[in-house]
Amino acid sequence: MLLESERLSNGERATVTLKGTKEGLLLLLDDQAELSRLLEDLDSLLNGEKKSFFSGPGVAISIDYGNRQLSSEHDYELIKILHLLMEKDNLFIKEWGPSTLAKRSLFENQKTNVRQTLWKGTIRAGQKMVFDGDVVIIGDVNPGGEVQATGDIYCLGRLRGIAHAGILGDWSTIIAAAEFSPMQIRIADMMSSAPESPKRALKTTMEFAYLSEEGIAIDKLDTLHNWTMKVRLEKEHSQ
Amino acid sequence: MGTSIVVTSGKGGVGKTTTTANIGSALALLGKSVVLIDADIGLRNLDVVLGLENRIVYDIVDVATGDCRLDQALIRDKRFDHLSLLPAAQTKDKSALTVDMMKSLVMKLKEDFDFVIIDCPAGIELGFRVAVSGADRAIVVTTPETPAVRDADRVIGLLENEGVLTPKLVVNRIRPQMVKRGEMLDIDEIVQVLAIDLLGIVPDDEAIISNANKGEPTVIKPDSKASMAYRNIARRMLGDSVPLMVLEEQRGLWGKFKKVFGSKS
Repeated sequence: MLLESERLSNGERATVTLKGTKEGLLLLLDDQAELSRLLEDLDSLLNGEKKSFFSGPGVAISIDYGNRQLSSEHDYELIKILHLLMEKDNLFIKEWGPSTLAKRSLFENQKTNVRQTLWKGTIRAGQKMVFDGDVVIIGDVNPGGEVQATGDIYCLGRLRGIAHAGILGDWSTIIAAAEFSPMQIRIADMMSSAPESPKRALKTTMEFAYLSEEGIAIDKLDTLHNWTMKVRLEKEHSQ
Repeated sequence: MGTSIVVTSGKGGVGKTTTTANIGSALALLGKSVVLIDADIGLRNLDVVLGLENRIVYDIVDVATGDCRLDQALIRDKRFDHLSLLPAAQTKDKSALTVDMMKSLVMKLKEDFDFVIIDCPAGIELGFRVAVSGADRAIVVTTPETPAVRDADRVIGLLENEGVLTPKLVVNRIRPQMVKRGEMLDIDEIVQVLAIDLLGIVPDDEAIISNANKGEPTVIKPDSKASMAYRNIARRMLGDSVPLMVLEEQRGLWGKFKKVFGSKS
């Protein structure tokens, strides 16, 4: 079943994202994007409209390049990236790596370096939990509560709040719940809201949401295998 | 050593103060020594609901800042054997009461009383954190409305963060007829969302309003449904297992017939 969904960002996704963390500023460099495009985006971030943001009191910055394989053929771009950052007098480069402390501090499961987390407990109104990798919630996500993961989200309870899978842009992530009645679901940068009315009947079978070519769709969990196969084939094909 | 319990809700106007006054009075009627703390600095009204307003000389901030002794500020309610009130300050700054002051105050009171019940202000700001800081346990009050339940959910999460685990739930102001028509949230539905133990349900009762105006806790007279509901809650807090009240009124001849013969359904 296909849900009505919309894209949150207009057009192409930003390849560089700046976040504030406990460890200072965090610059996330998309690991899928072309380095040349990344360089352009970084330049417009640092020297464009928000230029004034990068002058003022000194601040530590961590640069996280995710799962990108760095090799010597990219030396030029990499040096250019570092150069752009060093030009800014108030930025002090604190970290440069694939899994920086600053990035890990964003997640609930920062201390363990595992990519799968079992979270036991209810996520209540006003709470927002962010996980690195996949997460299994043993409990409910209540209305007004929010769970985010860079990977998949499985809720072994009632999903009634907001779930956002693939927050760093992974379109192949899914959202599944024993009782699937979320306020809103998001996968990568696509968003779908619950229909205003009537209230959906409680499902006894587990369902999951995934991102199809036409938008966010939901299906019975026993077809999840087909979806993972399809993703694997497509990913292999594109490489 | 007694137990300290904070009565909180997040949302305003759901009946925290009424619940504090009535649960406290009901526990006192059952022979326990109880002190009620009004932690709503600047907007005190627990004293009004209890009818003790005229007797206030010192308040909680005076005690905290050392302007008077604790026993000077406590007001004994003469209608009960062991019920006292520590009133809130009306004019002083909210920030005059800190987390540390509250903690030591509650510790001192726990030595002399079986129950220290703290009436929490609405909201989740500093006043909430101060009120919660001294509590061993919590009672979350909500009404069968979505906004109230949402705020209760938020507050339960915050209580967990503050280390007050496994709060108990009181669902207040239930109108059985509206629940029956599906216009009010069902109690099962509320308990399912909040996932905490239900301590009791209280029907919407006009007696509560008229008694609050008279400054008389509803539980003193056992003639209203709300009074019975609060007495049941107090008994459950002491460990009795009391079944939930049946709120729906029996209508029609058969209902009256059963009532006359004392049938329970």
